[in-house]
Amino acid sequence: MKKITGKLAAPAIAAILWAILTFTQSEVLLKTSDLSLFLFDWTFLKESFMIPGGFLGWAGSFFTQFLYIPWLGALLWVAMLYAAGHLTVRAFGIPSKLKALAALPVAALVIANMSLGYGMFIMRPQDYFFAPTLGYLLILGIISAVRKAPLFWEKTAIIAVSAAAGFIVSGVFALAGTLAAGICVLTEADNDCAEMNNGKKTGIAILSLAFCIAAPVLLYGCFTRYRLADSWSMGLPSISDDEWTVRIRLSYWFMLGLSLLFAALMPTLKKAVAAKSDKVRFANVAISIIAVLSVATFWYKDANFKAELKMSLAVDRSDWEEVNDIYRQVSTKHLNREKKALEKRKAAISVTGTPEQAQFVVKEYEKCFFQPTRLMVMFRDLALLKQNKALDTAFTMRDGAKEQKSLTQIPMAFQAGRQLYMHYGLVNMAYRWCLEDQVEHGWSYGTLRYMAAYATLLNETEFAAKYLGKLDRTLFHRNWSRKQRPLSADIQKMSQELPYREIIPYMSFSDRMSNDLVKCETYIMKHFAEDRDAVASPEFDRAALLWAMRTQNINLFWKALSQYLSTASDINLPKHVQEAVILYSNLEKEDLGIPIDKSVKDSYAVFNEYFQHARFSCEAEMPASVWFKFGNTYYYYYYFIRGLQTF
Amino acid sequence: MKKIALYLCVILSVAACADSPKGNLVKIGESVCIFPDYSEVTIPRNIAPTNFVIDNDADAYRTILTNGDVSVTKSGRKICFGSKDWNRLTNGTGNAISVQIQLKKGAQWGALEPFNIYLSDDSIDQYITYRRIPVAVESYEILDMCQRDITNFKEKIFFSNTMVQDNESGTCVNCHHCGNYSASKMQFHVRQFKGGTVLAINGELRKVNMKTDSTMSAGVYPSWHPTHDYIAYSNNKTHQSVHAMSHDKLEVIDEENDIILYNINENAVSPIETDSSELECFPAWSADGRTLYYVSAHYEAPFGPERKSRIFLDRKNLHFNLYAKPFNPDTRTWGPHYLVYDAEAADSSMTWPRLSPDGRYMMTCISTHGIFPIDQIASDLFIFDFKNGTARKATEINSQYAESYHVWSSNSKWIMWSTRREDGVHTRLYFSHIDENGNFSKPFALPQKNPEFNRTNLFAFNIPEFMTEPIGISAREFAEFISENDAVPAAFESKRETDESGVLITTDYRVDGTTSASAIGKGQASEEMYLH
Repeated sequence: MKKITGKLAAPAIAAILWAILTFTQSEVLLKTSDLSLFLFDWTFLKESFMIPGGFLGWAGSFFTQFLYIPWLGALLWVAMLYAAGHLTVRAFGIPSKLKALAALPVAALVIANMSLGYGMFIMRPQDYFFAPTLGYLLILGIISAVRKAPLFWEKTAIIAVSAAAGFIVSGVFALAGTLAAGICVLTEADNDCAEMNNGKKTGIAILSLAFCIAAPVLLYGCFTRYRLADSWSMGLPSISDDEWTVRIRLSYWFMLGLSLLFAALMPTLKKAVAAKSDKVRFANVAISIIAVLSVATFWYKDANFKAELKMSLAVDRSDWEEVNDIYRQVSTKHLNREKKALEKRKAAISVTGTPEQAQFVVKEYEKCFFQPTRLMVMFRDLALLKQNKALDTAFTMRDGAKEQKSLTQIPMAFQAGRQLYMHYGLVNMAYRWCLEDQVEHGWSYGTLRYMAAYATLLNETEFAAKYLGKLDRTLFHRNWSRKQRPLSADIQKMSQELPYREIIPYMSFSDRMSNDLVKCETYIMKHFAEDRDAVASPEFDRAALLWAMRTQNINLFWKALSQYLSTASDINLPKHVQEAVILYSNLEKEDLGIPIDKSVKDSYAVFNEYFQHARFSCEAEMPASVWFKFGNTYYYYYYFIRGLQTF
Repeated sequence: MKKIALYLCVILSVAACADSPKGNLVKIGESVCIFPDYSEVTIPRNIAPTNFVIDNDADAYRTILTNGDVSVTKSGRKICFGSKDWNRLTNGTGNAISVQIQLKKGAQWGALEPFNIYLSDDSIDQYITYRRIPVAVESYEILDMCQRDITNFKEKIFFSNTMVQDNESGTCVNCHHCGNYSASKMQFHVRQFKGGTVLAINGELRKVNMKTDSTMSAGVYPSWHPTHDYIAYSNNKTHQSVHAMSHDKLEVIDEENDIILYNINENAVSPIETDSSELECFPAWSADGRTLYYVSAHYEAPFGPERKSRIFLDRKNLHFNLYAKPFNPDTRTWGPHYLVYDAEAADSSMTWPRLSPDGRYMMTCISTHGIFPIDQIASDLFIFDFKNGTARKATEINSQYAESYHVWSSNSKWIMWSTRREDGVHTRLYFSHIDENGNFSKPFALPQKNPEFNRTNLFAFNIPEFMTEPIGISAREFAEFISENDAVPAAFESKRETDESGVLITTDYRVDGTTSASAIGKGQASEEMYLH
């Protein structure tokens, strides 16, 4: 029974991992795929040889494309991890009673990918999901090959080839494999090769170390794309920030270090295992638990991040209903819990004596209430505008500016600049962020698609053809490309198709020189406030009015309202606009005679009445307290949503 | 064995004949569509094979190329030549390669109208250098500087910024340039991390910091003096911004410009043109080195933080004129500048003057406004013929998109420039031949091994320069030198200049953009200084 349990443990864990990835992380996998690129193209392969480890990246990109079908991509990765675990046991000769040791490097590989979170947007290159796993398999392959080679010269030859050729194709992974193989030969007691004496073993170990040091130096002259000092980290993913890079590389260093450690200590471990079977069993279980707990601990978990990813994928499809549904789901998921938290907070505040103490309690409870990131709000507003619902419903939903759960805040421009700008008709800025993205992180399916869409929108046929031509050479995006090709040559057709027909109305503005200073939201806000053409579309004016309301600037609102009225087909003002009119008219003590529905007049009266009598211990208590009452009005937004930080 | 070989030969011959035209060919009415377009172009005999791909739709293709008694037949859409075939064709007895493309549509073979690739006996310099960069706005990551042997397809990266920059500190490289087409007189700039101007003179490397207390920036656009060890540079305070809604995507503008002279032997810079109300840029020496051409736009706005945004608003009014300034290289004395071409009067802007080594021509860019032609769709090439006394737009080689950064071959018979004619965004290198009458031949693209290279490649190729010899310094040597050495500061010298009456004055340049001049003597300038 124990044997069966032992045999089934690894497949069961693999199956669970696959299920978790498929059913709970599909948006992460899809986005990972969208941020990568693999072309069925000879040049694409040749270019991979421009840096050591490039070929490994090429192979990694090949597999990454399958994440487009999350269950399939997850299956491939889990299969590789399973193979890695199995081969770790064989390559290092891990005793069967201590098999759990093999879970440690595998756990490191899982953590490396699944702890990334927002780091996925700034990783380079974008082949990181599969490449290190393949690299680890190569390490195991080198160790196995050296161990199995019976003769001294055969082992030496394999070590030489794996250091030189291996370095070219896989960078540091081959070096680690070579060094680990050398150590294995040195420490292995029951070596298959009878003719190997200690001198020869030492010789091989020294040779492997020498090759690891010399190969990158000697081969450096063949390359022109990196610094010599970086030779011993080639093949490892990085981020253009040292702190991030160290963090993401910790897992890989741990994995590479384990390889060397296993190679060095395995004979000693084997002896220990033979002697102390009870303790070994305990150690085996403990190691398994540590591996699983480590994965669970470091696995990136953040509802806002996942919601952003899902919304982003829906924006790519112009599926505005889906964008709103995702927002609605995530913002109302814990309403009951929030109500209870509000009660508890109220009770806690009631026993405080000073406003400072009350404020402290409010802060303590802050995390109990849902707060979206700015990007979620931006996606939501965009979707509502596209559906012509924004001026009736945008302020009925939660607002906020929750910081990303991330080592550093990734600017919205990096994450979704091209999407927001493109769908708001700011096509040159979308183009700009596509370029910045490809320069920093390389081309991706997403960037190519947006570049093609950009060129199509501007009727730059040859320019569009360049990117469509690339997408033609992909596995999962060629159909999209084929559908776009006729549109890029025919304005009429293009203007009737999604997403173009929804973008064109927003393009009614004058040219100006501009720089967003990496702040999308501020730029868009300023754009709608200042760039309107003499003749604008109703869509543009609706967006301008919404953005004017977001600024909470009364003068800007009146200006945007008059422009809105000049193009609006419906004479009845939307709900939030009426709320803003009644609010601003009262604040300015001026009645412009704009008709307001009775329901709005009543709600404003209730709002005023409430605040004439309501008492709060401190100002910070108010927003969450009254959200359940007035959170669906513009008045609430005007008074309580202030000082949001965008980036 | 022999029998098998014979059978194979027979089978292959039959297979080859099975899909080839028999009898008279029907003339196909459609026009020839090949990429790159090498129809009716003039190429030097020593250039790499002009491989091309046929874009006309057909079920089968056959292309017959003939030059005198030499004939080469190719099948398939992609026409790529081995060096043997290409040498036979280009060295044939005729002065053109006649190309006939035959297409099979259904069961019927037909022929397109034949075209010629004309062969010029004027050879072209064997090497070119260029910078290969991703199309970008502000970010940069990989910037390769390459040398290509254009008699074949061999390309070598002679330096890449990735060999110097680290994870957090970026290094930009730009403006490579050489003196007299020689690899023994080279320079390029390294910006930011490990920055400085790198000079490679006779195999010796030197890194210089030309930014002094008296100059606004390090040297930027260079022009190496043809006879003496001087390099003229512009100083620039450059900014760029994105067009919110325009086919022109970017606008690059200099807030301030000056021109300085770098004395290589003394490692010293001295001002040439530093008028604070003028934006002087793009110095270019005449063939004899006795005149420096440059462009300048008059612009008056207060210096300070507002100047940058103001100049962007005023961008359409920035019209650069062409000026010349006499120079005596032996005494390093300057004469007063004079206007050569008043572009402002034509509501246009002239940039990038480049003179042919034989002294006959000068080519510039002309656009509606501004200083950075490659980002302006309206930018065209403009040619001055000093022999005939004409100045005109080079209409025969301009396209609907931007033309920029042109350079003359060492024999003054060819020009190469960067153009966005293929798709409006990606800069590609094109060539044209100029005949005795000053007329250009139809432009042709730099030949590539894969004829679809320009279509599929997403990099831009800019700052092309001709060279007559290979660069002897390896990328690794450059990288090690740049990484290990700090830039040596250049000294600052006063300018020696005569006014119109021949009074010698010196000018010191200050960083606030003003100049102070004082007369110190008379009669230093000789009459010949004004001849050019």
